[in-house]
Amino acid sequence: MRTHFSRSAFIEGARDMLPMTVGLIPFGIVCGVGAIAAGASPVAALAMSMIVFSGAAQIIAAQLLAAGAPFAVIVLSCFVISLRFLMYSAALAPYLKPVDHRWRNLVAFLLTDQAFASSIRRFRESSDIRANVSYFVGGGSVLWLAWQIATIAGILAGAVIPASWQLEFVVPLCFLALLAPLLHDRTALIVFAIAAVAAIALNSMPMRLSMICAGLAGIVAGVVADRVLGRGTTTEVEPGN
Amino acid sequence: MLIWALIVVVGAINFAARLSFIVLFARREMPPLLARALRHVPAAMLTAIVVPAIVFAAPGELALNAGNVKLIAALVAGFVAWRWRNTLLTIAVGMGALWLLQRFVG
Repeated sequence: MRTHFSRSAFIEGARDMLPMTVGLIPFGIVCGVGAIAAGASPVAALAMSMIVFSGAAQIIAAQLLAAGAPFAVIVLSCFVISLRFLMYSAALAPYLKPVDHRWRNLVAFLLTDQAFASSIRRFRESSDIRANVSYFVGGGSVLWLAWQIATIAGILAGAVIPASWQLEFVVPLCFLALLAPLLHDRTALIVFAIAAVAAIALNSMPMRLSMICAGLAGIVAGVVADRVLGRGTTTEVEPGN
Repeated sequence: MLIWALIVVVGAINFAARLSFIVLFARREMPPLLARALRHVPAAMLTAIVVPAIVFAAPGELALNAGNVKLIAALVAGFVAWRWRNTLLTIAVGMGALWLLQRFVG
């Protein structure tokens, strides 16, 4: 274990992540509120944040659960949302080959959009794998801890916040904050347009299947647009949500 | 009980997706078509989540007009997100716009 750990890089990673946690706090709070609203006990709501550790999956699970969607549909929706981790995992994998199993498992567990975004450049540019992994784990640990604190705040605040504040609107705003910067080229705009139209057109589908179907429509549109516009040869990965 | 099953299953799916190429398929290259498709997952899924949450005034009632305060607030917030790339600022402006619009319009 020790051969893979650099204390100074761990602390550096933790420090660099601190400003990012600020943006995560409202999202974590809403996840706590949402889990309670979906009928979870406080312990289950916190366990969800500790184990799942993915805002998008947690909030969708909570919303679908509250809407009475079947178990399989909730799981399938969370599965589609988690597909982006395949992309991050593949981007990090080449740099982690020399790292032992336990550390790779830890890196995987702490892999989030924010942790990926803040460390991928370092993995690409520095060959000090020990420092890079420690840096990643330092940042990832801070995120994980901040996520639990925010969830607890949400669990406690859920009962107190008046409905007139419309706190649930924070959810689309969080996703919007991640979505808007992605829309910087034609392909991304096509993906957005198709997914948006599909989400509206399919809204009356049973069991809340419209989200998965609209997402898949957007993905297919993106692949087709890549081909038609002659792009899609790059494998550059961008952080999503 | 259902919620605990959900936590375990969704947790396992997320962990498996994160482990995928780091551990599970560490010796394999990602197929190029899959790599291309996955690049579009964030924009596609985020759109599929965000759009229904802002364009419907009530369940099943599409409101693509200035009377839909959520839509207007989201457009303002979307511009802020695109221009400044700041989550907290986006949330603050979006919620502020929603509250203001509800006071004066709704």
